[in-house]
Amino acid sequence: MTESEDIGKAQHELEHTIQPIRTLVKASGFAALFGAFVLTVVILPAEYNIDPTGVGASMGLTHLANASPASQAGPASSAEAGEYQEDHVDITVPAGKGLEYKFSALKGDDIRYSWQSFGGELFFDFHGEPKGDTTGYFQSYTVSTSDKVRGSLTAPFEGSHGWYWENKGNKPIKVSLHIEGKYKIIGIK
Amino acid sequence: MSFKSLTRILAIFCACTFSATLFAHGVDDSTKQFLLANQGVSIIPYMYIGAKHMVTGYDHLLFLVGVIFFLYRSKDVMVYVTLFTIGHSVTLMFGVLYDMAVNAYLIDAIIGFSIIYKGFDNLGGFKRLFGFQPNTKAAVMIFGLFHGFGLATKIQEFEIPKDGLVENLISFNVGVELGQFSALIVVLLVLSFWRRHPSFLKFSVATNALLMSAGVMLVGFQLTGYFTTI
Repeated sequence: MTESEDIGKAQHELEHTIQPIRTLVKASGFAALFGAFVLTVVILPAEYNIDPTGVGASMGLTHLANASPASQAGPASSAEAGEYQEDHVDITVPAGKGLEYKFSALKGDDIRYSWQSFGGELFFDFHGEPKGDTTGYFQSYTVSTSDKVRGSLTAPFEGSHGWYWENKGNKPIKVSLHIEGKYKIIGIK
Repeated sequence: MSFKSLTRILAIFCACTFSATLFAHGVDDSTKQFLLANQGVSIIPYMYIGAKHMVTGYDHLLFLVGVIFFLYRSKDVMVYVTLFTIGHSVTLMFGVLYDMAVNAYLIDAIIGFSIIYKGFDNLGGFKRLFGFQPNTKAAVMIFGLFHGFGLATKIQEFEIPKDGLVENLISFNVGVELGQFSALIVVLLVLSFWRRHPSFLKFSVATNALLMSAGVMLVGFQLTGYFTTI
């Protein structure tokens, strides 16, 4: 037992060698170059649609950034041009609470939508917030209480648009939402 | 043989780095849904979220790979992993309970840096450069603190209800440790098999260089996120 431990220790000291400066420079240089290469050619185009080389676009990676839902952290305030797409999402509004589901669209973009709630009617406010606005301003397109709505929107400004649903009952209500048009999903807020 | 194994290692590495990108980090809508819909204490779900975050959190895992890469004795593994656990548990709990607002991108960039640090350290870089070895135990503990802040920012994104916060937080933390433990077993198994093979030492420089490059990618990825969302 102790013997094997001693061997282990000896091995540890023996094998955790301090590399010569040449190897260190080579390893670090490789890490920096390879890391930067993958970052600029693959990761940035796919994650942020930042594509300085143009290689990301030719590989179709920039589509990923356009299609990805909610940005990964922080406020998703940047409105970006979406491509024509169609989405179907199910959202559950908890009992006695409200939530928002947003997408971003440029001024003049057309969106057709329909939603239906299961388990009761919901109060809703379909509205939009201009990009970059910090005053809390929003414009309501439709405010009502319903369990089934169909409509369309031509975005009056660039920014985030979407629904605020409020469930005044005591049971969760599922909303089934269908969107079609030029937009980019932000998701639940 | 060497070229073949090298490409294999590269492929595994790339797979590890990218496959998790889609679901690691950030909060997916279904998880958000769950957290919005559930008030009060829910121990098992929070444990699950914690474990899932750790198992799919490639940044934490890459750091752990770096930490245990040259740890041959199980006792050493235990000591270092415990230090890492203490570090990240402290900041996870305090960060959330005291509602410390740390920017998720900056924290994740530091986590990426911790991987570069460990890879360089494994090559004996600091001893070569400075003539002495910075305390490896302290480094693991300090970087553990940053990893904990990273975990805290993730749980803060959930905007979890104040009701039952402590219990849920402890559940999340326990889940993180369970996830870390199960991931650790896999990593240790692979490493100990690999160590029996001469290619382990042969490629230890290459592996740590790849570890560093993964760290570079993470730092760049997170810093870009930081600068583009402001």
